[in-house]
Amino acid sequence: MDVLTQLAHGFAVALTPLNLALAFAGAFLGTLIGALPGIGPVNGVAILIPIAYALKLPPESALILLAGVYYGAEYGGRISSILLNVPGDAGAVITTLDGYPMAQKGKAGEALALSALSSFIGGTLSVVGLTLFAPLLAQWAIRFGPAEYFALMVFAFTTLASLAGRSPVKALASSVFGLMLATVGLDPGSGVPRFTFGQLKLYDGVDFLIVAIGLFAISEVLVLMEQTFLGRGGAIRVETTLVSLKTFLASLWSILRGAAIGFFIGVLPGAGASIASAIAYTTEKRLVDREGTFGQGDPRGVAAPEAANNAAAGGAMVPMLTLGVPGSGTTAVLLGALMMFNVTPGPLIFQNRPEVVWGLIASMYIGNLMLLVLNLPLVGVFARILAIPRWFLVPAIATLSFVGVYAVNNSAFDLLFMTGIGVWGYLMRKFGFPLAPMILGLVLGRLMEVNLRRALAISGGDWGILFSSPIAKVLWILALLSLFFPWLVGRLAKAR
Amino acid sequence: MNPDRAVGILLFLLAVGYGLEALGLEAEYLADPLGPKAFPLLLAAVLLGLSLLMVAFPGPGAWPGFPAWARQGVALLSFVVYAYALVPLGFVLASSLEVGLLARLLGAGWAKGLAAGFAFALALYLTFVFGLGIPLPLGAWWPG
Repeated sequence: MDVLTQLAHGFAVALTPLNLALAFAGAFLGTLIGALPGIGPVNGVAILIPIAYALKLPPESALILLAGVYYGAEYGGRISSILLNVPGDAGAVITTLDGYPMAQKGKAGEALALSALSSFIGGTLSVVGLTLFAPLLAQWAIRFGPAEYFALMVFAFTTLASLAGRSPVKALASSVFGLMLATVGLDPGSGVPRFTFGQLKLYDGVDFLIVAIGLFAISEVLVLMEQTFLGRGGAIRVETTLVSLKTFLASLWSILRGAAIGFFIGVLPGAGASIASAIAYTTEKRLVDREGTFGQGDPRGVAAPEAANNAAAGGAMVPMLTLGVPGSGTTAVLLGALMMFNVTPGPLIFQNRPEVVWGLIASMYIGNLMLLVLNLPLVGVFARILAIPRWFLVPAIATLSFVGVYAVNNSAFDLLFMTGIGVWGYLMRKFGFPLAPMILGLVLGRLMEVNLRRALAISGGDWGILFSSPIAKVLWILALLSLFFPWLVGRLAKAR
Repeated sequence: MNPDRAVGILLFLLAVGYGLEALGLEAEYLADPLGPKAFPLLLAAVLLGLSLLMVAFPGPGAWPGFPAWARQGVALLSFVVYAYALVPLGFVLASSLEVGLLARLLGAGWAKGLAAGFAFALALYLTFVFGLGIPLPLGAWWPG
């Protein structure tokens, strides 16, 4: 089996001491970042990129660390959902519905243990899915020409727009902001400086990293500044984290269904962990909630969304790695990180950089095992970390952002630019513009323009080439459908 | 005015300004039929359309409140000062003061915030410089 040999090579990469240590660091920091309300996986990954970069890690090692933070955060998010009724990150919102009632009934340890197992099963199954599915998708996508790529990227923007916020118009505008920012700098085709206003600093383009940290971390700090935090969060003691075999077996089908739903939703561009867990929960509610116990501390209501959000994190890696088109804010940041390390994801990555993809995939099997250990016996440690007072946490995020950005170029200008982008991101949030499309636009902008220009160079300037092949046609139709999807759902819901 | 409509007008102006700047782009030689301005013009057109949609069909939203604008303003000002003070003051001192100030803004006492800031900044400095080998400014006042 070709896949198994490749995977074995991947394990050879992932099992080197450095990469094992980085997978562990990623899993640990991810759980921590997920557990702390206020910092989600995007912020965590963005803040860690400059550190990975300044350490001059090889690309596969950097990706192992950063991806570990990403899927680790989906484990950690459940802790404060269950214990405090405050979701640790967006993917864990649904977990509060049955997790907190379980804790109120004195079953916090059981809820934490069951959700850790669900996370592990969901996470691991999705890595199996990634192993089997990603090479196939890459083989299929190898036939994509520039026109198909352009259509694919449009599709990614429209699905993200229809799912990312309440207003598709604002989400699309947000992606245009990112695309516009990506046009700053020397034009890749002709060498003409564009939108640089004579500033030599801008000739190389806008630094992706500074925008990512400013947009997510600094704007988050500004949002958190809106409240004062006088009291300190009480330390929570978690005694035993055990779940009975009976409860586990009763939830097993919910876990497996949640994992399948999560993986497929994760693969879709635009839909991430939060949507996956919501759909898994409503599915379980319809299928198995005969006694109406969902919402009152039903273990299955904890198991399904936790399996789904972890599976979605693995699923989201599929389009990012094989197509080079990420489907969510965090995978867009991961893609931007890979580009900083001179690795271009896409169908050729399996041939050109097998050590990066297979090393990552192998490390995800190992990382999920580490996360199970971190989140079962050691969950009490993370529960105690929730007691870190906010008045310290917020300045700490700000300082970490400063260090990260400063460490890359040692430039005060970068710090000011990051602050400016932070204000922009804060205003976007206040006026209801989602941030993820903007970062996706910034990451994909160059690629989108290059593919458009290549397509029209092939056709000699005829725009019809964009819609000529069957694959491109299907992608354009899907893009249109996804744009009208929320409107259609709204109509159908009304019709009932 | 409806906030969406106001934002729509601003985005309209942004699209026009960006589009005009793009119109002025000329390449000395053309390597491809589109040249440097086609993609930016396309983006300007899309944003123009979106901004008109926002003006024509604004959401029901109310103006967002900025209850903490003074606190946020002080914080932003401190970020600017931090950018300039980082090299002369050094990382540990600048960051201790920054954490102390932000903690104060968030409701903690000066002493508590500065102490926590100093401990955190020192730990970060040691981790970065000695653990990770990433240099951070020590400060111009440091002897030697």
